[in-house]
Amino acid sequence: MRKITNNKDYPGFLLSCEESLLLDSGKSINKFQIAYQTYGELNSNKDNAILICHALTGDQFPAEESPITKKNGWWDLMVGPNKPIDTNKYFVICSNVLGGCVGTTGPNDINPETSKIYGLDFPTITIRDMVKVQKILIDELGIAKLRSVIGGSMGAMQVLQWAATFPEFVKSTVCIAGSLKHSAQNIAFDEAGRQSIMLDPNWNQGRYIEFDQKPENGLSVARMIAHITYLSETAFQNKFGRNLQEKKDLSFGFGIDFQVESYLRYQGRSFVDRFDANSYLYMTRAMDYFDVSEEIKNNQKRIIENEIRFLVLSFTSDWLFPTKESREIVSLLNSIGSNVSFAEVVSDRGHDSFLLDEPQFFRVCEGFLRGIK
Amino acid sequence: MRNDYKIILDLIPENSKVLDIGCSDGDLISLLADKNISAQGVELNQEKVISCLGRGLDVIHGDINIIVEDFPYNQFDYCILTQTIQAVQKPDVLLNTLKKVSKNIIVGFNNSGRLSKVIQFLLSGSFDSLLKKSDSDQWYNTDYIHPCSIKDFKNLSLDLNFKIISTYDVINSTQFTDGKIPSNFFCKEVLFHLKNEQ
Repeated sequence: MRKITNNKDYPGFLLSCEESLLLDSGKSINKFQIAYQTYGELNSNKDNAILICHALTGDQFPAEESPITKKNGWWDLMVGPNKPIDTNKYFVICSNVLGGCVGTTGPNDINPETSKIYGLDFPTITIRDMVKVQKILIDELGIAKLRSVIGGSMGAMQVLQWAATFPEFVKSTVCIAGSLKHSAQNIAFDEAGRQSIMLDPNWNQGRYIEFDQKPENGLSVARMIAHITYLSETAFQNKFGRNLQEKKDLSFGFGIDFQVESYLRYQGRSFVDRFDANSYLYMTRAMDYFDVSEEIKNNQKRIIENEIRFLVLSFTSDWLFPTKESREIVSLLNSIGSNVSFAEVVSDRGHDSFLLDEPQFFRVCEGFLRGIK
Repeated sequence: MRNDYKIILDLIPENSKVLDIGCSDGDLISLLADKNISAQGVELNQEKVISCLGRGLDVIHGDINIIVEDFPYNQFDYCILTQTIQAVQKPDVLLNTLKKVSKNIIVGFNNSGRLSKVIQFLLSGSFDSLLKKSDSDQWYNTDYIHPCSIKDFKNLSLDLNFKIISTYDVINSTQFTDGKIPSNFFCKEVLFHLKNEQ
């Protein structure tokens, strides 16, 4: 049984499903909900829908003011009226991913089998599991074919997964700063982040909510590590150099001397307020497990028959998902004879460039979407 | 419209699949699309790629020598190189690779062996005139690293076992068939339509 209601906890909607969903791990969940938000109007042909897939720490609020941070949504520069993903033209859907912590079922929800919080009893999920859940939402909204599926970073993984698993339901995809599979270096960074959380004594084997505490220090350090990977050496140098934080001399101690330290600690602390540690574990694991190459090859015929148009984009200074990995996507898509476009956008701001004001990047996305009929 | 584009548009049948190498701002791809021909571009210059994509055209940013390796056998009906072949590192290697991915190849270029160029070279004693693509080009910074004549290109095509279907004098849109080619002395711009012999 499926039912759509208004979301009581956040703006937007909630799709509640009482059915068994078999996951890649072999385990199932029997009851789950999907929190989502929409922008713009679905036209009568239902052919102007665009699905936006959020990144690791994103949510279902890319546009307008975010109810979580009270600041502009994470992709407010890209999504809105007269913006590249123009909500005057398109019906934009964005849902919180499975395993997330902004309303969609995740490790901190109640396990219907035990009536206790899942914690580590929540099954390990994959990017494909996330996409399967999004597909249920699209079905429920009565959309037979998405105009486009768009996302950066972990969002880009979902985009490729959509094309590989559900090619009949996608007209085009925009895969930004992504890869066919998570690299060894990226798995290594994820593991450092996870260890930081799990070694925090407040983590309590993932049962911290029962103890009414949070592994704040662990999650904060995990975020600090990850945040470094989202920027570039040039970005750090330009923003901070070796400038000292509100002092003239070095302290010869281990407090905050440099501006960059203050910035990183702030990033860590503020993240703790809006994100959940167990969700962080589950979602980084999903990224580690991601490798869509074989599925794309196996579904070559379906991808070609549906004439999906692919746009792949990378940024010159992104070292987390470097251009080389985007070229591997292009190379694979070319080898199966699909319709692919690719550009490397010049930016010195690292992986996070896709969330920032990059006019060339916006121009490309706007133009590509305009070309999808 | 550029004369060479006109000839190409007449030559390629509807519903063909085309690869335009060195597609620049995508003018030709856009014209082909109007004729219901699906064309994909390859371009090295980032600004030009952005401009193509902004127009809603399909283009891949990168070096054709590397990209071409990925395409499946006979993926395209036509491969087009206009004003590009003289700027390619190894024209023979590229043409040989294109053979695998496309049934037909169209190559257009300015004839560096024409009499006016040769006389200019003799009188000035400088290679600049032969290697000029734009006004700022000089022998040391030009993209035209392989200037060639119509005769040179004909010989290369035959050496590589291509069948020359037809050639065109682009300026006056004259077609030459049965192995004939425009005058090596007087034709300024030429277009070759090649087909894989195998």
